[in-house]
Amino acid sequence: MKVGLNDSQLELRANVRAVLAAECPSSVTRQAYTDDELWLPLWKTVVDLGWTALALADETSGLGAVELAVVLEECGAATLPVPLLSSVGHAAGALRQVGADDLLEELSEGAVGTLLASPPGSRSAGPVLTWSGGRLTGTAQDVPEAARADLFVCLANDDDGALHIAAFRAGAGVLVDKDESLDPSRPLGRMRVDVLPEFCLPTALPTVLAAPLVASASELVGVAARALALSVEHAKTRHQFGQPIGAFQGVKHRLADAYVRLERARSLNYLAAAKLAEGRPVDAVTWRAALLAKAAASEAASECTRSGVAVHGAMGQTWEHDMHLLLRRAWQGSATLGETRALYASAARSYVEDLAKDESP
Amino acid sequence: MTGKDSVHGLADEHVELREEYASWLAAFLPVDYYGQRYADYRWDLGLRRAHQEASYEAGWLQPTWTADHGGRELGPSEAMAVRLEAAVRSAPKLPNIAGPNVAAPGIREYGTREQVERLLVPALRGNEWWALGMSEPEAGSDFASLRTRATRRGDSYVVNGQKTWTTQAHLSRWAMLYVRTDADVPKHKGLSCLLLDLQSPGVTIRPIQMATTSDETFCEVFLEDVQIPLDALLGQEGDGWKIAMSSLEHERDMIWIMNWVEAERGLQHVRRHGERLSEDLLTELGQRLADAEALRATGYRGLTSTMAGRRSPESQILKLLGSESLQQTWELAAAAAGSSAGSDSELAFERHDALAATLYGGTSEVQRNIIGERVLGLPKA
Repeated sequence: MKVGLNDSQLELRANVRAVLAAECPSSVTRQAYTDDELWLPLWKTVVDLGWTALALADETSGLGAVELAVVLEECGAATLPVPLLSSVGHAAGALRQVGADDLLEELSEGAVGTLLASPPGSRSAGPVLTWSGGRLTGTAQDVPEAARADLFVCLANDDDGALHIAAFRAGAGVLVDKDESLDPSRPLGRMRVDVLPEFCLPTALPTVLAAPLVASASELVGVAARALALSVEHAKTRHQFGQPIGAFQGVKHRLADAYVRLERARSLNYLAAAKLAEGRPVDAVTWRAALLAKAAASEAASECTRSGVAVHGAMGQTWEHDMHLLLRRAWQGSATLGETRALYASAARSYVEDLAKDESP
Repeated sequence: MTGKDSVHGLADEHVELREEYASWLAAFLPVDYYGQRYADYRWDLGLRRAHQEASYEAGWLQPTWTADHGGRELGPSEAMAVRLEAAVRSAPKLPNIAGPNVAAPGIREYGTREQVERLLVPALRGNEWWALGMSEPEAGSDFASLRTRATRRGDSYVVNGQKTWTTQAHLSRWAMLYVRTDADVPKHKGLSCLLLDLQSPGVTIRPIQMATTSDETFCEVFLEDVQIPLDALLGQEGDGWKIAMSSLEHERDMIWIMNWVEAERGLQHVRRHGERLSEDLLTELGQRLADAEALRATGYRGLTSTMAGRRSPESQILKLLGSESLQQTWELAAAAAGSSAGSDSELAFERHDALAATLYGGTSEVQRNIIGERVLGLPKA
C-alpha cells in the first residue's frame, strides 16, 4: 500500500503553497470576515488555476483523491476564504460515487456547490430533506456556503425512511437566509426547500459520505499544521526566565504531543485518500478509514489550536493574532459532517459489526 | 485469533510474497495453533525456539539481508509486508529479541569478519542468546553518563562496573557491553562497545524478581576485573554512542510493529464484547482503532520517504504513539471486562506487559524530547 506523497504530489503541494502565500496572507482571511464580496476574485483565481478540476478526482488526469487531499490541506493552512471544500470536497465528493457526470463537470468548471447532510443538532451526518411524491422538501441549517452555492447536493429520506441522494439548483423553491457563523470566512445558511430535483437516487451513507469526510479531514490537517508551526516558532523566540519557552519541557512536551496528533491525523488522511484513489465502491474498510480520518483531523486541529492559544499566552486570544482564524476553522470544521466522538464511535461500531464476517472461515 | 487481514485491508501489494510467507507459517505451526490452545502456545518456549530456527532457515528472520547472512534480499517494502503479515497471523514471538534484532544487526554493520563468522549465525538461530549491557544504577535515560570502565592491559580490556535492568542476562551467552574507554573526553565520546562472553571470570549475574509473570526477566550484572580480549571490541574505540544509537534506531522499527501487534490483540479482545459495548467504550475503541491504523499508515509513509531518499520526521512518532496507545488499549480492555478485570490474570499480564512499552527503547519523556528538539527544532533546556 502506498501511503504518503510522491515527487509530483510534493511539487503540487509546493506550488499550491506558493500561490496561497502570495494570494492569501492571513490579512485576506481577516478581511473576508467583514467583506462579503471578497471571495469572488479569489474564487476566479482558484478556478483559473484549475483547482476546481479536482471535483472530478480523475486519477488518470493526475488530479485524483490524494492530490485533492494535498490541495485542501494547504487551503486549510491558509484559511482560504473560498468555497473550495464545499464544492470539490463535499458536493462533488458525494456526487462522484453516484456518477452524476454533468453536475460534476459544472463543479469542475467553477460552479459553487455544497452538501446538505447535517441534521440540526445531530452529532452525525444523515438525511436532511424529504423525498416524497416527486418533490424534495424540508428545511436545513448550518449549510456551509449556502448563499454562494449554485448547486446543492443533499441527503434525503423517502416516505419509508430509505436514504437517497439528490441534487438541485439555486433558484425558485430554494430560500436561503444567512446564519451566524463561527468562521465568517465560511458563511453558513438556513434553507427552506421545495423543489423538483435534478435527480434523486437511493444510496447508502458510506457511499455518499466517504469522500466528503476525507475532504474535511484534509482541510483540518492543514489547520492543525499551521497552528503548530506558529506555536513552534513562538516557542523558539519568546524568552522567559532567561531562555526560550520551548526549552521548558512543559511547553516542549505539549508541542511534541500536538505533533503526534498532527501526524497521526495526516497518516490516516493519506491512508483514506489512497483507499478512495483505488476507485472501488466504498466498502467497510474504506468507510472506517474515512470516519477515522475526519475524527483524527478534528482532534488534531482542536488540539493544535488549543495548545496554540496556550503557548501564545494572552496574545493568542487577540484579534490581531492569526490563531483565532485557525481556531474558528478548526471548531467549525469539527462540527461539520459528524463531530469527533460520534465519528470514532461509528468507526468502532462498524469494526465490531465486521467481527462475524472476519472470523468466519 | 484470526489469520485474516480483511479488517484492515492490509497491504494489497506483494500479495504473492505474503502468500508464500503465510503458507510457510501455516505449514510450520501446529494445526490447532489458532484455537483455544493459543493461550498455551503463546508461552511455549520450545515452539518459539523452533520457530526462530525455522524462520532463519527459510530466510524470513532478516529478510532484507543477503543469503549468506540468512536473508532473501527483499526490499524494505517487501520486508515490512512480511513483518506485518507475521504480526497479523500472530507468529510465535522471538524468545530472545536482543539477539537477532539488536546484536545481529550491530555485528553485521560494525563487526570484523571474525566477529561476524563467530557470532552472527548463533544469534540469528537463537542458539546463543544476547543481553544488552546498557543501563546502570546511575545511568538510565542518561545513558551517556555510564561509569563502567574498560582499561587496556596487554591484549585485553579489564572491565569494572555494574549493569542493571539487563534483560535475560541470566539466560544469555553474550552481552553487547557499553563501557567507558576514555574518561578524558566529553561523556558520549568516550564510550565503546565490547562483545562480552558472559561466562568470563569476574561476571556475576543476579536475576531480579519481576512484579509479574515475565519471560523477559531483568538482571543485575556485576563486572569485577573482567578480562575481555581486544578483538572483542565492536567497531572502533569511541564508537559506543554511534553503535547504541543505530541499534536503538533498528530496535525502534521493530518496536512499533510489536506494539501494533499487541495493540491489535487488545482491540480484538475489546471487540468480542460486541453489542454489550456502551457508547463511551465504542468512542474509545474508535480512538484506539485510529491509533493502530495511524501507526501502520505512518510506517508506510516512512517507507515511502526512505525509498525516495527523503527524510521522514513523521517516523519519530511511531514509538511514542505505539507504546502509549498500547497501554490505553489494554486499559480499555480492562474497562470493558468490568469487575472481571480484578481476577483475569491473562488480562493483568497484558496490562503489566504494556507498562514496559513506554520504558524500553527510550521512555515516552525521552521520545517527546526527541520530537521537540530534533523534529520541531525546539531548543534544549
